Amino acid sequence: MLLRELDYARPDSVDEAVKLLAAREDARALAGGQSLVNVMKTRVAAPELVVDLNRIDALRGISSNGGALEIGAMTTYAAIVDSPEVAAARPILAEVARTIADVQVRNRGTIGGNICSSDPTNHFPPLLAALGAELVIRSADGERTVSTDEFFEGVFATAVHPGELLTAVRIPAKGDARDGWASATLGRDGTGIVSVAATVSAGNARIAIGCVAATPVIVTASADETAVEDAVGAAGLDPPSDVHASADYRRHLAAVLAARAVRDAS
Amino acid sequence: MSDHTIAVSVNGERYEREVEARKLLVHFIRDDLDLTGTHVGCDTGNCGACTVLLDGTAVKSCMLLAPQADGAEITTVEGLAGDDGELTPLQRAFHEHHGLQCGYCTPGMLLSATYLLSHTPQPSEEEIRRAIQGNICRCTGYVNIVKAVQAASGGLSPVTET
Amino acid sequence: MTETAQEQHVELEVGYASGKSIPRKEDGRLVQGQGVFADDVKRHGMGYVHFVRAPYAHARIVSVDVSAAEALDGVYGTLTPDEVAELTDPFFELTTPPGSQIKDYALAVGRVRHIGEPVVAVVAETRERARDAADLVEVEYEPLDVIVDARRAQDGGAPVLHEGAGTNVVWSGRFDWGDIDGALKAADRVVRIKELHFDRFSSTPLECSAALVEYDRGTGQFTLHCNHQMPGVAAIWMGPALRVPLDRLRFVTQDIGGAFGNKITTHTYLTACCLLARKLKRPIQWTEWRTDQHTANAHGNERWFHDIEVAVQNDGTMLGFKVAALDDCGAFPRYEPLGCIIWAQVTPGLYRWRNIRVDFTQVVTNKSPVAPNRGYSRMQQLWLTERICDIVAAELGLDPVEVRKRNYIRSEELPYETPNGCVYDSGDYARCLDIALELIDYDAARARQKEADGKLIGIGIGSTLDSGTNNFGQSTLLNPELQFSGNNEVATIKLDIFGEIVLTLGTVPQGQGHETTASQVAADILGVSPDQIHVRPGHDSYWNSHAGFSGTYASQFAVTGLEAVKGAAEKLSLEIRRLAGGVLGGADPDDVILEGGFAKRKDNPEAALPFMACGAIINANNAAIPPELRDITLNCRYVYVPPFELPDKERKFGNLTLTYATQIHACVVEIDPETGEVEIADYAAVDDCGTRINPQIVEGQVHGATVHAIGAALYETFAYDEYGQLLTSNFYDYHVPHALDLPRIKTGHIESPSPFSSLGTKGMGEGGGAAIHAICSAIQDALRTAGSPAVVNDSFNPPERVWRMLQAPEETAALVEVTTQ
Repeated sequence: MLLRELDYARPDSVDEAVKLLAAREDARALAGGQSLVNVMKTRVAAPELVVDLNRIDALRGISSNGGALEIGAMTTYAAIVDSPEVAAARPILAEVARTIADVQVRNRGTIGGNICSSDPTNHFPPLLAALGAELVIRSADGERTVSTDEFFEGVFATAVHPGELLTAVRIPAKGDARDGWASATLGRDGTGIVSVAATVSAGNARIAIGCVAATPVIVTASADETAVEDAVGAAGLDPPSDVHASADYRRHLAAVLAARAVRDAS
Repeated sequence: MSDHTIAVSVNGERYEREVEARKLLVHFIRDDLDLTGTHVGCDTGNCGACTVLLDGTAVKSCMLLAPQADGAEITTVEGLAGDDGELTPLQRAFHEHHGLQCGYCTPGMLLSATYLLSHTPQPSEEEIRRAIQGNICRCTGYVNIVKAVQAASGGLSPVTET
Repeated sequence: MTETAQEQHVELEVGYASGKSIPRKEDGRLVQGQGVFADDVKRHGMGYVHFVRAPYAHARIVSVDVSAAEALDGVYGTLTPDEVAELTDPFFELTTPPGSQIKDYALAVGRVRHIGEPVVAVVAETRERARDAADLVEVEYEPLDVIVDARRAQDGGAPVLHEGAGTNVVWSGRFDWGDIDGALKAADRVVRIKELHFDRFSSTPLECSAALVEYDRGTGQFTLHCNHQMPGVAAIWMGPALRVPLDRLRFVTQDIGGAFGNKITTHTYLTACCLLARKLKRPIQWTEWRTDQHTANAHGNERWFHDIEVAVQNDGTMLGFKVAALDDCGAFPRYEPLGCIIWAQVTPGLYRWRNIRVDFTQVVTNKSPVAPNRGYSRMQQLWLTERICDIVAAELGLDPVEVRKRNYIRSEELPYETPNGCVYDSGDYARCLDIALELIDYDAARARQKEADGKLIGIGIGSTLDSGTNNFGQSTLLNPELQFSGNNEVATIKLDIFGEIVLTLGTVPQGQGHETTASQVAADILGVSPDQIHVRPGHDSYWNSHAGFSGTYASQFAVTGLEAVKGAAEKLSLEIRRLAGGVLGGADPDDVILEGGFAKRKDNPEAALPFMACGAIINANNAAIPPELRDITLNCRYVYVPPFELPDKERKFGNLTLTYATQIHACVVEIDPETGEVEIADYAAVDDCGTRINPQIVEGQVHGATVHAIGAALYETFAYDEYGQLLTSNFYDYHVPHALDLPRIKTGHIESPSPFSSLGTKGMGEGGGAAIHAICSAIQDALRTAGSPAVVNDSFNPPERVWRMLQAPEETAALVEVTTQ
């Protein structure tokens, strides 16, 4: 509960934030803080400078363009749950966001923070991976856009490197695709044990599995439950064992939940 | 390392204090402002005992740094009852329906429920349970808390089914 | 029966407060954030303590260096193991040699024996600074082999935790009642169960431990503003250790944020705070964080049951059983080995079996110490008896309801003496079961079970007794040298100058509503409304309203606490009536009644003396009092002593508790066979705790006990890895059920007044872990109905374990064997 000493800055603009993050090696961007502050309480994370993004209005908001969504990195889960744009374009985002932690966390936690922490148990990494999202990253050198494959580099590691800032998440238009989600959690709507997102289009499923590796595992198969279970079984998953689930059980859940996610999408 | 002068309005009263940047908002409220009704029940943001309203929105005050609250309006449990000590309908309902035992989770629970009723005046049981999911109570099993929130929202007649 | 006994806005007729669900006196302050919890207490110049804790489960301390920490700005000082070893004596141990040679200090001396054990204390001007300084303390360790599994603790070559004891066994002994060998020989069948495991968890009160400790250098007085729930026992531990008389330790509590037994063994930390307050000459503030509580305060007892043999007739009549129980108390015994006898309060559960043998052993392991967690020690035993019932039913193809009803002690047999001499007072177990089954609509659930498609449906029952009001003489069955027996509790009531009635309890409430129920009992006796009784919140040992066993623990307030209140109020009533009788023309006290704040002559109600006048006469205007009334003080202290006898140490026989409340639970679960997830579809708890003073408070206790047990059955575990690292050290990994995890709990009740308490009340609130038993029973039922031979062999059943039972039923089926004779 007792953090190391730190400096705190609260920029008003993206440019200023990027400048602050680039100026000091041990600077961390603070989004909703619903993970980072917890890790700082244990002193496992102890940035010397915390750059609070909460007053940068440009990082918040959801816009829809022909069904494609652009979601500001600092948009909260609560805002996603309530968004008419999300409901119209890609409602799965709201359905999943509604099951993240609890009301208070959803009021502060952000989509950008969720993926930048790259915690394998988080909801958005597999979901965005299934949806084929693109991530917009800013630095002093300019802006670049990466796929989720490029974005998630490992546990707690992403393509947002020192001096960079995630500014937005872009979700492609749904077209004729249908989205599904299934997860096993610690208690209802709790920490993920295995989470699976699926997007089904033209009889093919793109499946992203969370909690079974450092980053979401992508499996594709025809959108048939048996085919999906077989494909996940053949994916050579090597999930971790922990107090909540053994590797064997996680491997089994991955196949069961993948089939359910595809069913949910149908 | 930096100290920050912050100004907050808590329960309608304005405070200006110098704080270490690393101080959690909950410790600022409890230790610096002496408002000890806001409690700490865990160290991982799970229990919700530290819930306050920050600009009208329910948040866990153990997951914000104190300087982040600069300029904000905060409501803590001490700010719920009227100046004349008149309890809010929720506080009264917790009392009448035995919605508390040890009382440690109660401040956070009341603020989460207050937040719920501020945007959903007539919640269903499922909506109430969802609204207090982030608040752990170890005494009541939530049965009478749910009932109290229902009662405060006018959704429970004084005589229940038998 | 009512689903929920809610009575709002109760209009009370004076004299009839008891039995009504009046809203609580405590609530006003608590709903406004005006409660005073231990961590809310502040003093000028106080220093915040932070403990440096063991990173190893077992290691020798090679060296400790606090110099860098002490040099940091804002640091007031430190306390090291060497200082503790010099300034204190080890805490008193309850067990017999060689276990009694275990040395337990406020900080780890010489060795650390579990993760998180406090090694050094650092005090600084802010919480954060104390933590900064703690990071600078250098402790060098030499890691030692670790014992995590209690089953290995007695192996040759196993590391011995406490060198002085020379063994990991804390206590061991045989309990043998009736003739189990004869019963096993005579029975139609013998059901053998190789191993069952009762898991490690705790009720994890939301408020962690805390204290503000002051030392007065002029008087040598320590004042501990804390949340210890049994200060009398804390003082017995701490006084000799600190080498000070008990009265130098003043314990003050007001509001406590739940305790459930987990706040009985915090004396180690409080002792460290006392030493620091004296050494650093300033008040010491200690806040235990959640991770500290999980790693290094108190868990519930983990227990293994081995080589169970049950003697059964073909019709399901059970004649008895034998078992070897192995209890794991973690690194230090502290309140143990009392758990090695407490279970015997409910030796046969609710059943008529007359032949029982228990070989009981308790060992230390490199895990957190334990403390009496809600349902303490009886819950493990009751889980065993309920598992036996269900396994017997499953193996013999009998209906679990019928097996229970066939074997339950019948209402007409009560009071009933168990094979070990406990006297079950009153109740109707079969009736409670019927009500529970009705609440879950048993027949409909059975029908649904047959038609179920996809989900597996199971129906379960948990039958428990909540034994309350300990006869502490049971401690002598463990250690004949101990000088404890009986029990006591105190209440003091006074009528003040302006007619105020002030009631002081000896108890240490933690949310049980003592202020309210005590006022109800006193109000009826004094003829006033409960609003007119001021019950002092909390506990202060300076009030002198406590005795050796005072505290709030072991389901006893409704008997010990309220009997003390009743005794004190009756004394005060008599004094008021004597005084008024004298003032009102020489009436006999029996001819004076108390009504509406007046003492009135029965024969002439116009002749009435207001309480205010009584208080004023005695306290401020007493020169005219006649000599025969000069003994009246209107300040009455009553010590309730329950009617116990010394148990027979040789036979380990005697009545160990005064009252036995009944809890019968029934539930319906749905299991997802693909994932093993268990969902509670319906839940009913039926309670019989005799006369209920405040039904709403009783019901709240039932809800709470039920949910603790649901958590233990499905979500909560203190799991360790092979290195003794705790894997569930916070609420992130130790999942406590929240509002969405739980069903709406239905309740029902009957009232079988206890013949052994004058109010007819029985202690209640711990609940005997009924939901653990009911959920295990329901999972077992679902598996068997689905055709699986698997046996529920663990009290904790997370999804993976249930899935595993379905995948590999032979693993657990192999634990059970039935022989026909």
